[in-house]
Amino acid sequence: MDTSSRGGLRHVRRMSNWTAATLIVGTGAAAAALAHQASHPTPVPAAAGGTAATAGTAAVPAGASTPGGAGPQVTHSVAATTASGVTVTTTTRTVNGKAIVTRVRHAPVTADN
Amino acid sequence: MTAGLTRAVPWQPVMTGDDAVAVAERGALGTSARVAVWPPRNLGAACAAVDEVLAALDRQASRFRADSELSRLHAAGGGLFMLSDGLAEAVGVALAAARWTGGLADPTVGDALISLGYDRDFAAIDPDGAPPGAAAPAPGWQTVRLDGVLLRLPPGLRLDLGATAKGMGSDRAVRAVMAAAGYQGGVLVSLGGDIAVAGTSPRDGWPVTVAEEPDQAGSPRAQLVRLAGGGVATSSVGTRRWRRGATMVHHIVDPRTGQPADGPWRTVTAAAATCADANAATTAAIVAGARAQEWLTAAGLPARLTGHDGQVRCLGGWPAAAGGRVPVPSGCHVYAGARPPGGGR
Repeated sequence: MDTSSRGGLRHVRRMSNWTAATLIVGTGAAAAALAHQASHPTPVPAAAGGTAATAGTAAVPAGASTPGGAGPQVTHSVAATTASGVTVTTTTRTVNGKAIVTRVRHAPVTADN
Repeated sequence: MTAGLTRAVPWQPVMTGDDAVAVAERGALGTSARVAVWPPRNLGAACAAVDEVLAALDRQASRFRADSELSRLHAAGGGLFMLSDGLAEAVGVALAAARWTGGLADPTVGDALISLGYDRDFAAIDPDGAPPGAAAPAPGWQTVRLDGVLLRLPPGLRLDLGATAKGMGSDRAVRAVMAAAGYQGGVLVSLGGDIAVAGTSPRDGWPVTVAEEPDQAGSPRAQLVRLAGGGVATSSVGTRRWRRGATMVHHIVDPRTGQPADGPWRTVTAAAATCADANAATTAAIVAGARAQEWLTAAGLPARLTGHDGQVRCLGGWPAAAGGRVPVPSGCHVYAGARPPGGGR
């Protein structure tokens, strides 16, 4: 075998080693990603044939929100988490160009709290 | 949940002061529903999607309308039933919540609630009724068998899905809205203060007020937090109260006694991977009473508890300061443990 052939073989062996290493690393990364997904279960997917509205379990990226979202800047509260004591209806009407918001409680207030 | 939801109440716009999101609200399920979306152009589709979810949930799981699927089961007096997919999921979630909470949030408290007078939509309860009958422990969630869509209900047992149904409804609603919006933007849905979010949240999360009652949102006792994922729910013994004889009663029943829970905490708010998880956890914490902190800590849930003396206690990384971000646990318990149709078990 001449020198150039030996050099060629060494080159091929080196490339083969790099390919093997890349495959090992890639497989490991894929396994890690799958393990990560498996350890973070999401709500169960939809029943086959059920509609999103009636079955309520559409096979979508469920309640997954983007943490620290890339959405708009929102500074005002958009909702309140509260005890669901009563029906509260909010009515918005415009008077002289100004929005007037009225909140009405519908259920009888019996609480002593 | 209330009758008549097939005739949807119109949505009313809510001005929050931010043009980047659109918010609307309407009465639903005996309380109120609220939707917040971005981009704002998605609001119409979002409201329509939530309407469908609410109507379906009411038809499936309402204890207060005679024509609901759940009421028909109760009227049959027990036996073996083949459920719709939606009710099977709702019952499965309630049973999974009972298993997860060690029976603190138990759907077999229906009879106990009825004997306390909570036998109709809350708005129609006689606020000064006769004294309640003798209390008895709930039959226990283990007496109910659900296998896929097949439910075996013991004779005379009546289910109450109140500890999970609203949270599950919020979870269903945000998924439906994201589907309707082509998975663009983000959404928040609140059913009676039980909130789920999905999609891409606003920067730093959705600003949400934590309050004991809806009309306390602007009070000094309220706290603004930010929610970037999952859900948050609140349970309180300070609302949905009524009088029976000389006794004030409320709607959170301790399954071990059949009587209203009587612990040191007036209100509990918790965050979880889903709103149904949070909904079950807050009910469980109220029922757990003096052991609420221990249970919430073991469950790994961020929570805010308010005692009858007004003192507030924050657990599990719940932000002490206003404007702080609520950490969202990754594990889901009530859906993973449910036996949905097609779940293969």
